[in-house]
Amino acid sequence: MRALVIDDSRAMRRIVSGTLEGLGYETRQAGHGQEALDVLHAGWVPELCSIDWNMPVMDGLQFVSAVRANPAWRAVTLMMVTSEGEQGQIVRALAAGAHEYVIKPFTADAIRDKLALLGLLPQEAAL
Amino acid sequence: MTETRIPRRRAGDRPPVITELLDEAVVQEIADQAWAALVGEEEVLVPLPGEVPADAVSSWVEVLGPWTGTVVLACGRRTAADLTRALLREHAPAELEDEDVADALGELANVVGGNVKAVLPGPSALGLPEAGTAPAPGAAADTCRVDLLWRGQPLTITVQGAALAPEHEN
Repeated sequence: MRALVIDDSRAMRRIVSGTLEGLGYETRQAGHGQEALDVLHAGWVPELCSIDWNMPVMDGLQFVSAVRANPAWRAVTLMMVTSEGEQGQIVRALAAGAHEYVIKPFTADAIRDKLALLGLLPQEAAL
Repeated sequence: MTETRIPRRRAGDRPPVITELLDEAVVQEIADQAWAALVGEEEVLVPLPGEVPADAVSSWVEVLGPWTGTVVLACGRRTAADLTRALLREHAPAELEDEDVADALGELANVVGGNVKAVLPGPSALGLPEAGTAPAPGAAADTCRVDLLWRGQPLTITVQGAALAPEHEN
């Protein structure tokens, strides 16, 4: 499985990517929503996008809306991973088309549990 | 950043000060959770004051809403470098660049700031993390500061109201 990790913090991209790679994912990284859209337009369409909310250029909510507006990317699962923890923000993200929401700080187990709920744990990690 | 509607305050309303909204224990709890998840499960923040070195580096995020101010993380350069290596673990480069340190400290401020925002009355917006010379503090009554030791090294987390305009200072 493939995952695109979208966060303006390099440290956080490395942390999330490390967690996903530990579960068997192949990952790529993008520093903001527009850079992530460029990756998708170039043909690298993953099963999962891990998306920060507050980023320069294009934020996570705008990215979610852009992905949802393109039927060709309907199969991409969108998981917000953000420090925006209020209920209202979670509702906004889910209403825009995100499938899951993880609040920073998170543990590797929290990511694993969310992916299990989504049916997106690679087989070897699900055993 | 996505626009968040901030309710207008009526004329004559006094804006809240941070000490009416949270206390040091709340900030410490948020920091503890951030450290355990990002820095390491065994990493402990001890609530003891220490002298932050003169070469302190700072990172912060702005909170804009019914309460407006910044959440500032400050520590010495050595502490900042150690924190960066702890965050990046095996991905840490042999030689840390200033950009690596600013990024890691900024993300810590972002996570702490985002969780501080979540306990404040909303809706509020969170700015992007910044690093460098922290914004000037506001009034003492609008400041909540925790002094901590991490691996015996001092650091501070300060939730501070926006500095007052000069004509309002007296």
